[in-house]
Amino acid sequence: MRYSFYPGCSMEGAAVPYLKSFEAVADVLYMGLEEIPDWNCCGATVASGVIGDYPAQVLAARNLALAEPKRFDIVVPCSSCYMNLALTNKKFQDDKHFRAMVKEALRAGGLKYRGTLKVRQIVEVLINDVGIDKIRAAVRKPLAGLRVAGYVGCQTPRVFPWQFDDPEQPVFMDRIIEALGATPVKFPMKARCCGSSHSLTKPEITTGSGYNIISCALEDGAQVIVTPCPMCQMNLDAYQGMIKQHHQLKTEMPVLFLTQLMAIAFDLPPAAWALKYNIVSPFEALAPYGVKP
Amino acid sequence: MTEPLKYKTEFAEEIYALENGPYIKKCMQCGMCDVSCATRNEMDFSPRELFMLLRTGKREDFFKANTMWMCSTCLMCKVRCPRGIPLVDVMHDLKSHAIRLGYTDPPQASFYQAFWQEILGRGRVFEGGLMARYYLKRGWSEIRKGFEMRDLGMKMVMHSRIPIKPPKAIRGLKGMRAIIERAQELTQKEGR
Amino acid sequence: MSKKIGVYICSGCGIGDALDMNALAKVATKEYKVPVCKNDAFLCGRDGVEIIKKDIGDEGVNCVVVAGCSGRVNYDVFDFGPSVVVERVNLRERVAWTQEPGDEDTQAMAEDYLRMTLAKFKNLELPEPFIGEDLSKKILVVGGGLTGMTSALEAAKAGYEVLLVEKEDTLGGWLRKSYKIIPLKAPYTEPEDPGLAGRVKEIESNPRIKVYTGATIEKTSGAPGMFDVVIRQAGGTVSERVGAVVLATGAVPYDPARLEHLGYGSSPNVITQAQMEELSSRGQITRPSDGKAVQKVVFVQCAGSRDRDHLPYCSAACCVESIKQALYVKAKNPEASVYVFYKDIRSSGQYEHLYKKAQTEGVIFVKADITGVTDDGGNLTVEAQDLLMGSPTMADEVDLVVLANGMVPTTAIEDPALAEAARAEAEAAPAKEGQEAPPATEASMVIRSNILNLEYRQGPELPSLKYGFPDSHFICFPYETRRTGIYAAGSVRRPMDMAQAVEDAAGAALKAIQCVEMTARGMAVHPRSGDLSYPDFQMSRCTQCKRCTEECPFGAINEDAKANPLPNPTRCRRCGTCMGACPERIISFKNYSVPMIGNMLKAIEVPEEDEEKPRILIFACENDAIPALDMAGINRLKYSKWVRVIPVRCLGSLNLIWVNDAMSRGIDGVLLMGCKHGDDYQCHFMKGSELAGVRLSKVSETLDRLGLESERVTMTEVSIMDYDKIPKIIGDFAEKLDKLGPNPMKGF
Ligand code: SF4
Ligand code: SF4
Ligand code: SF4
Repeated sequence: MRYSFYPGCSMEGAAVPYLKSFEAVADVLYMGLEEIPDWNCCGATVASGVIGDYPAQVLAARNLALAEPKRFDIVVPCSSCYMNLALTNKKFQDDKHFRAMVKEALRAGGLKYRGTLKVRQIVEVLINDVGIDKIRAAVRKPLAGLRVAGYVGCQTPRVFPWQFDDPEQPVFMDRIIEALGATPVKFPMKARCCGSSHSLTKPEITTGSGYNIISCALEDGAQVIVTPCPMCQMNLDAYQGMIKQHHQLKTEMPVLFLTQLMAIAFDLPPAAWALKYNIVSPFEALAPYGVKP
Repeated sequence: MTEPLKYKTEFAEEIYALENGPYIKKCMQCGMCDVSCATRNEMDFSPRELFMLLRTGKREDFFKANTMWMCSTCLMCKVRCPRGIPLVDVMHDLKSHAIRLGYTDPPQASFYQAFWQEILGRGRVFEGGLMARYYLKRGWSEIRKGFEMRDLGMKMVMHSRIPIKPPKAIRGLKGMRAIIERAQELTQKEGR
Repeated sequence: MSKKIGVYICSGCGIGDALDMNALAKVATKEYKVPVCKNDAFLCGRDGVEIIKKDIGDEGVNCVVVAGCSGRVNYDVFDFGPSVVVERVNLRERVAWTQEPGDEDTQAMAEDYLRMTLAKFKNLELPEPFIGEDLSKKILVVGGGLTGMTSALEAAKAGYEVLLVEKEDTLGGWLRKSYKIIPLKAPYTEPEDPGLAGRVKEIESNPRIKVYTGATIEKTSGAPGMFDVVIRQAGGTVSERVGAVVLATGAVPYDPARLEHLGYGSSPNVITQAQMEELSSRGQITRPSDGKAVQKVVFVQCAGSRDRDHLPYCSAACCVESIKQALYVKAKNPEASVYVFYKDIRSSGQYEHLYKKAQTEGVIFVKADITGVTDDGGNLTVEAQDLLMGSPTMADEVDLVVLANGMVPTTAIEDPALAEAARAEAEAAPAKEGQEAPPATEASMVIRSNILNLEYRQGPELPSLKYGFPDSHFICFPYETRRTGIYAAGSVRRPMDMAQAVEDAAGAALKAIQCVEMTARGMAVHPRSGDLSYPDFQMSRCTQCKRCTEECPFGAINEDAKANPLPNPTRCRRCGTCMGACPERIISFKNYSVPMIGNMLKAIEVPEEDEEKPRILIFACENDAIPALDMAGINRLKYSKWVRVIPVRCLGSLNLIWVNDAMSRGIDGVLLMGCKHGDDYQCHFMKGSELAGVRLSKVSETLDRLGLESERVTMTEVSIMDYDKIPKIIGDFAEKLDKLGPNPMKGF
């Protein structure tokens, strides 16, 4: 199993723990990752709002062109990056006119894309390529008794609704949580919006959504939240202090990347857990599993 | 009593001509997007209302509405719209059209522009750079607000979540810019 | 028929665990002296069925009693041909699955059910089918529009002779008056040519279809399989015998003269949809006032429809029709502004595509309540309250306003001359000395629309369900009217668009075919399809009270001049309402009769008062209540051990003597479970449960005479989905009886 890997800008910044834990976990699961050389920003949820959909998608397509020579599927951990790359790729494959337009623009940078790749979401790859059995087999320290709220976030399940899960109440990530020996809680808000980039321009939105999401997880008895999305992790983790200031949040709720929890269950060295980056301390909740600072 | 609304098409045609504009025509005002929207409460007009407003030709009201800026790209409406309208993509068009026409008052417009400059400048986005650009654009009042968030920033730094040094620009930056330029030219040629 | 009864008791499915099989067998062999009685652990299995078959062959058993599962399952397994009577005792759903296993009262219940079934045989015969004389399988289609033509073609294609009668001089109906019609095929985005010529040609070249144009039906007499119709054409008349009728006379537009509030009549530029078709077929669409080519057109939806003061219902087709016409305007002049002011756009079925098409062509849809349409020298102004923007709205300098004026079924339109004649006749009837005016009967409520002119005791046209539509049940029984063998299709049945009318046409044709085929075999049609029994009148004891002729929900019974009932078995649906109505109890079926049910209830053992074991008798309708009781059993819901259930064909067949008998035998209470009645009835025989209610209101007399409380006899509505409420319904009734104390008649 080898993949072209698109880390995206956040993995170089706020989502470092995601990168570290993912690389370690991928290693255990025999996923060969080859970072796309000289990749550029996917445009996030923003570029198309400035220059329009098509030019923004050309920007995303540059990454596809750079990855194509390797011919591996591209695995994308960040949800926005996944959305942009996957939608661009799909449109490129389905829409002749768009294809011609993209090709022409890429030519201006001396690049070429033929549309041969697949763009894959990380959780979906874990389930469909790696497989639940293999994940279960890699668990050395089952997280028995740990109640986990699987926060998939909004974009991941909705980019291609029903393709691999329900766009509003996805369950695919819960299967991984289960494989780690933990108990996924019901958590109906698992695919609601976290407030996304409003965190800077209108933090009330982010703290409001964050409050609702964390309260929902608490109500369902969760001890930690895990997510595969850098934006969600940041809005729930880094903003939790502000959430507490503005709303009546009962207790703190640690928010981990899915791969961090996997690294713990696989009993990898603490460096792979990368927990020092987490702002809300997860150590109390994870103490029974031998997780210490 | 308020002036009766009159429906007309001239202004709507301008919007319908945008990349995803034709989809808007199919909106049947069912309201599914309203009830699905994560940020509906923050909006002056729900997406549904905005599409009806468009048909009344009230240009200023339309562009001054914060609807498109409040969209957080959660895709719920796009998934649910019974008419298959990709609302999120429509919102992209409306944002970029508004910026083009100079309707850039909302803070989100500054944020978007800052983000875009960051991409153009480096090929990748560096959070520190993004914030600096944003506050620069917004000026004092926003910086004061930013102060309220300094705790948060401090925590981020303490937990090594914000790199001190910006990343280097990508090697193919020139090529990337050329690609974008070409794409923008092509867009213009298509008349949208 | 000399009867030899064989009783077969199954102990499978938990029955054996709940009941004492030997004791049960003794009821058959000792009490009822049944010659053959066997137990089996798996009666519906191959070996089980073989046992029965063997006894039929070797022992000459011709009355088979299967005591096991409900008669609603395995009916095919336990079918031993037309010469063997099969009766089922439901020990599974009704006893083993709802009662305490091994309890003595559970055993008593099972034994009673076996007794009740065995008691039936005294008055039970194999039904012999009624086969009419000179039966016809021809199908008469009344109305030569899209529905009628389609129905005729469908029936002919299936191999049946068809008569197609149209009152206009040419076939076509609305197709003839339409510039284009809504698309009938994918992608449903372009209005299409009416295709009239092609359809007419297909009909004319089909040797099985005989067309009468410029023709009306002067008289329809007889019954399914033998309707005699007199067709008037060009001054003369022709008589034809047909087996069934498809009524496809369609609808007419709602009278626009009543739409003054929408500007009709005040300006020639306010027109109807029909006028718009005409305008459009003339090339450029122009204003009627001055011939100017139109630039701005407003369509006003629900003009009259969904309006309490006009048509309370949705006319269903006008939304799509207006969208189609909006597309005419856009096709002829893409620059024109076109608005549709609507309440809700109801473009059902595939017409969402047409709606989308109009939107993409630039038609503007505004959800609004019209407040005024005014004319300023040809230019119109439409004012309205915009419901989406919550603000007043208007369109000015409008050239044309098209009112979507809805539809009224032809059956709802009275023929003034006929109606007048009927009134005169009613007045002329000598009011009998000392008698009140007779209550409004079915006949006086039928709208004299001069379409079929039926020779039926209950009036000359089809009774309507609502708003003059002759359907009998919108949801469950499409096409069925309350006259057996006459099926309504298209917009006369309910408001509908052309695509639905095409489908309807085929559906009704199929119904008509079923009817002629069933009639030829002497079988009932829906809902007791296949039933061979029919009511038999012992005329020597008839007192001419007219109850049966008035109450039959299907108008099956005519009357001669002396008020003697004249039954028409092929019109009959076998509900037994007449049997319930007859005070002399002279109406009975070979396998369903007043004495038969009487014997059943007499077979119930009623314990003495000091035993404190009350008995509750339930008469349950076979259509919904019995399935609900079965479902309660399937879901293992427990209910009172005191009940004994007797299934009835319809509560309409309930004869009050049964209540009387039950009470005088000491049964503590009687519960009637039937379908919902009233405006949105669920009764499969339309009027049955309602009539049962009326009869019950008179039962208090009987109870008073016996010195009993009237609450002891109660009627309740049970639909098939109410199975989960069964324990509570029964429980509440049992509790009520408990309060009243035991029936003092016990032991008399
Ligand atoms: S969900 Fe779609 S059709 Fe419905 S109002 Fe919103 S945009 Fe219009
Ligand atoms: S079809 Fe449309 S216009 Fe006609 S009555 Fe129904 S809702 Fe009104
Ligand atoms: S009342 Fe029922 S059973 Fe009697 S004649 Fe009418 S349809 Fe037949």
